[in-house]
Amino acid sequence: MEDGVFTIALLSSGLRLATPVILAALGGAICNRAGVLNLALEAKMLLGAFVAIVMAFFLGNTYLGILVAVAFGGLLGLMFAMLYLKYKVNLIILALAINLLILELTVYFMRVLFGNVGSWADPSIQRLPDFELPIIANIPVIGDVFSGYNFIVYFSWFAAIAGYVIMFHTKFGRHLRAVGENKEAAETLGINVRRVQITAMVIAGMLCALGGAFLSVGHLTLFTRNMTNGRGWVGVTAAIFGFQHPIGVLLTGSFFGLAEAFAVRIQNVSDLPPNLVQLLPQFATLAALILVALREKGQLWLNRRRFRQQLARGEMRSTVAGD
Amino acid sequence: MDTYQRQQRLNTVLVPILAILSGLLVAAVLILFTGESPIEAFGELFRAGFGCRAIDRCAFLTTLERATPLILTGLSAVVAFRSGMFSIGQEGQFAFGALVAAWLGFALDLPVVLHALVIMVLAMIVGGIYSWIPGVLKVKLQINEVITTLVMNEIALLILVYMVNFPLRADRGTTAFSPVIDETAKLGAFLPGSKWGWGFVIAIAAAIIVYLYLWRSTAGYEQRMAGQSSLFALFGGIRNDRAALRGMFLSGTLAGLAGAIEVLGVHYRINQDFSVGLGFDGLSVAILGQVHPLGAVLVAILFAGVRLGAQLGLQINMGIPRELGGSVIAFMILFVAAEQFYRNNIAGVRDRIDHWRGRKTAVELAVEENN
Repeated sequence: MEDGVFTIALLSSGLRLATPVILAALGGAICNRAGVLNLALEAKMLLGAFVAIVMAFFLGNTYLGILVAVAFGGLLGLMFAMLYLKYKVNLIILALAINLLILELTVYFMRVLFGNVGSWADPSIQRLPDFELPIIANIPVIGDVFSGYNFIVYFSWFAAIAGYVIMFHTKFGRHLRAVGENKEAAETLGINVRRVQITAMVIAGMLCALGGAFLSVGHLTLFTRNMTNGRGWVGVTAAIFGFQHPIGVLLTGSFFGLAEAFAVRIQNVSDLPPNLVQLLPQFATLAALILVALREKGQLWLNRRRFRQQLARGEMRSTVAGD
Repeated sequence: MDTYQRQQRLNTVLVPILAILSGLLVAAVLILFTGESPIEAFGELFRAGFGCRAIDRCAFLTTLERATPLILTGLSAVVAFRSGMFSIGQEGQFAFGALVAAWLGFALDLPVVLHALVIMVLAMIVGGIYSWIPGVLKVKLQINEVITTLVMNEIALLILVYMVNFPLRADRGTTAFSPVIDETAKLGAFLPGSKWGWGFVIAIAAAIIVYLYLWRSTAGYEQRMAGQSSLFALFGGIRNDRAALRGMFLSGTLAGLAGAIEVLGVHYRINQDFSVGLGFDGLSVAILGQVHPLGAVLVAILFAGVRLGAQLGLQINMGIPRELGGSVIAFMILFVAAEQFYRNNIAGVRDRIDHWRGRKTAVELAVEENN
């Protein structure tokens, strides 16, 4: 079984599976940077998956379907933001309620629209076409790994880089980070905190919906109950593991995607337990959380010691001066 | 008790009731999409979820059976919330409790009653430890417990999938199941027709114990104070950290017990989709039940009944998708979470009535009583 486990096919299927996770995690990272813990990524993805395939069916065009899905994702993000900011609904409870709501409502409307079915597909729906990237496709190996996907995959990479530029090199990015670091201070500086947070949540909704659309019309062409199957939650984890940094998120999202692809691969070629591989990124996240906390604690301890030493030195100096 | 306090208490009951009514209103709109009459559908839902045709064909008893794990995961959330920990780890602790029960259910060889008891105690300990870990991480390292419990849920579910597919797999059928547990480990049902039995009794007993613990014991008082106002509690000489850790451990034991009872009393074996959603439902139960054991029991029964009614009454008899049940529940949680909205409006309506009757408003009364 040595041959055929680590192959280029594995890498490219890993990158494919990483796409929805990267998009959701980017959304999560933007919200976290704005000081909003967004646990409703799963719902936004699932809504995107549902709306994309239904609208692709009714409008007869997959790209239009995705466009509508992204708009719906943004709307759900806006609703989330309004409930949080206007009615002061607890963020976590709100997220859990919306997750459950979308999980049930998507299936409800699938059944109302298309009859009592467990999953739905229609031959008229076109799957999003793959295309080769110019230049890169011609480079050996790299071309095989990084080319030949549909536009959502490329967009997820682009979004991570654009996210980095926006977050760290624009005015909006500075405002976003300021709001997340200290809301009150940002407010006194004249930053419109509400507007920044609403924008972050709407963008997150759109990114998640695009990730969901990737599942229903980009990867497969069907919709089934709980189609996202926890990928939104993985997105939350990947955002934390990537330290809310767009490039970090691109890497951790790919890590999660590769682990999933690897699990699928193991299942096909051997009798080894596949899911244990997927535990790896989860444990890594937990370890990262603990390490960061330990570092902060250590920093605090060092600072305190330095302060004490300075204090002791200062006292000595004052006694010398007193003499 | 003065007027202001009395009105606060009334709000505690009024808010969830208004939320439930709002949820039903939305359900009526959703039913209109299918072209059926909402009133007829509600009647059907009630009959199939809460009705009782005969003692051995009693839907309500099935509702109670399905409410059992919800009561326990709901209590688990109540205990965690009341100690100031926003633990959303019930899902993972439930999975571990179920895993312990499914494994020891056939691996241990013990006499009746003792077998089930040993399993339940061990499942509680395992669930408790799994909940205690994020507690320690929070108390010692200030790591957000929402995030750790979330990651630990994912870990537990992956381990469950692995265990069911590999070490515990009974046969090489298309879907993996663990072996059926021994007769000695099963929790009995009281009546034929449903699996309503000892599990429910244990859940109710747990609710009473949680109430007595939180409101009638010193340790529980400390825990509630630590949860409500940690600085105040510190001044009062309460060790917040210890109270929070105790709360997390207890919370985990209840979720673990829920998982064990679901195996020993209902399914007798597990598959990989065993725990999907039950933990999160527990959180919803706690929230709609105003983070109180009695509220949790009532809401758990309501949730279970609505789901069952939607499944049997609406889907099978009327062709309305059973997801209506879950949607209504989600709306209820959404509405109760938007509590501030109701509180403002209840106060507004009350003030208007008071004003119209020429009486003083609640706030004015409160100010007067304070003077």
